[in-house]
Amino acid sequence: MFLNGIEQLLRRKIVLTAAIATVAFLGLYWWGVSAASSADLSMGHGEADMAVDMLGPEDAALAAILTAGPLAATLVTALIIVIGSTMLPEEIGQGRMPFWLSLPQTRLKVYLSLGLAPLAVSYALALILFGGIFLITSIYFPFTARNIPFVFISMLAWLTVVWAAVMLLSLVLKKIASMLIVFFLSSVASLFGGLYEIMKMFPGETPKALETITHTVIYVFPADRGYRGVLYGLIPADAVITENLAFFGVTASVPSLHLVYAFFWSLVLLSIGYWKFRRMDF
Amino acid sequence: MEKDILIRVDNISKSFRKVQALSGFSLSVSSGSIFSLLGPNGAGKTTLMKILLGLVGSDSGSVTIYDLPVSSPLSRRNVRYLPENVTFPSWATPEVLFRQLERIRHESSTEEFRQRCIELECADLMKRPLGKMSRGQKQRVALSLVTAGKPDLVLLDEPSSGLDPGGRILVRNLIRNLSSEGATVLINSHLLGEVERVCDTATFISRGRLIAEGELDSLSRQTGLAYIETDNADNMKLSLEKLGYSCRKESKGVVAELPDPSSFPDLARSVLDTGIRFTGMNQMRESLEDVFLRIMQNDSEQGDDIVS
Repeated sequence: MFLNGIEQLLRRKIVLTAAIATVAFLGLYWWGVSAASSADLSMGHGEADMAVDMLGPEDAALAAILTAGPLAATLVTALIIVIGSTMLPEEIGQGRMPFWLSLPQTRLKVYLSLGLAPLAVSYALALILFGGIFLITSIYFPFTARNIPFVFISMLAWLTVVWAAVMLLSLVLKKIASMLIVFFLSSVASLFGGLYEIMKMFPGETPKALETITHTVIYVFPADRGYRGVLYGLIPADAVITENLAFFGVTASVPSLHLVYAFFWSLVLLSIGYWKFRRMDF
Repeated sequence: MEKDILIRVDNISKSFRKVQALSGFSLSVSSGSIFSLLGPNGAGKTTLMKILLGLVGSDSGSVTIYDLPVSSPLSRRNVRYLPENVTFPSWATPEVLFRQLERIRHESSTEEFRQRCIELECADLMKRPLGKMSRGQKQRVALSLVTAGKPDLVLLDEPSSGLDPGGRILVRNLIRNLSSEGATVLINSHLLGEVERVCDTATFISRGRLIAEGELDSLSRQTGLAYIETDNADNMKLSLEKLGYSCRKESKGVVAELPDPSSFPDLARSVLDTGIRFTGMNQMRESLEDVFLRIMQNDSEQGDDIVS
């Protein structure tokens, strides 16, 4: 059933479009990074040129990854929202769900198999995108990433949260409404995720209300924690400008407990989704 | 015999919000029969079929297939279902779809599938995407997909939908073949002519209740018409009219109206007395359509009585 779902997804135009966009994105990224690698950054001022001379390839790699990361994340998020919100409703709407459920398999198997297909496709796309970014960057600006295994786990946590939310909402709302809500939640989570990191740099100096809202968003929709974990694991371990960026919370690490919470949260949403699916009449 | 009961439905009820789809419904279906569910739109036929497959849960009562509750996937191990108006992905070919089904069923019955496609005259469509097929071709492919292998129970919702007369004949033959291979076939269809040709038993449902069931022969009554097969229809008609019978000529005989259904022996004597050569004579029975209308009419009148 899972393979059937994958087979079906790979035939869809949205997945083909995402694949083309990925190739185009990586092509453009390659072009930009190769151009940057041969650029002369000297500015003609003594102090500025000294500062430039202090920077190594790791710093260029950091800048490149932090520029491309959010764009890649937007592409992956858009794909998982679109295919995740249409998978089950489409099977139901086309009258295929009674057919699948009449076969000797449990509802849980049908729910998870059809549901896991969009997660698997999106995860594969995210691996290609971020893997491509890493490879292209390291060709022109050789560097050692901080923690590659952490990237894999964080990416899964990030996508699982978005996927679980969109799966649940697609069963209770119209397709377009579920897409818009999850896209809105992802954007808000990204904004407050950044604020959360900055607030950590200024303990006790943030208005209490903002702190409460930020923490609420982080815990209600923990997708951003996973995404930040991806960036943290991918960036160079020894870039000079890391400390400066850390001041803005850009390169801060993500505690493993946050990822565990993201997985737990996804499991709760999936369970609610399954509870709804199990009670549905087809 | 107890072991021959394949489907056992015991006192089930189901409502969708304020609509009572089934109410205290009980039914037993014997193994190996060709069985039809008949009733007007909204009677509860499709709901019953879906409850049998576990697609819809009943509010009360119990349903078992081979003594296994329908909530268990094991009860559907050898059950096949063709829903009405199912839309398979337009890119998929019959071969791809069958491979997908084999993956889920964990069995290989490719050869049986090919045979079924030959039987339904759609073997040449194996590599054609469903999006490039006509409605009738899709229906034949869907029937082949569903019935390939050795199913114990086949549930078909409007199996002749979208088929031309040739296709309908193929479906009839398919149903008979399935039965002869040992499968129990349950048909939900409004095409009573098709049902009459293949089914042995029928259950009539109205307003969520079982109102009649039995073998088709026992459900249909003898009518007040008799058919006399003869090469000399004109003379037969004139002679019988002289004896007071109202008659009409048909292509190979005469249809005579009886004063009452029990007076057939009197007509038979009259026909013999005419001395005109005839090759056959029988009292006509109700068609399934007549049976359906009569049973529904009775139910409607009873319902009206209850209301009044």
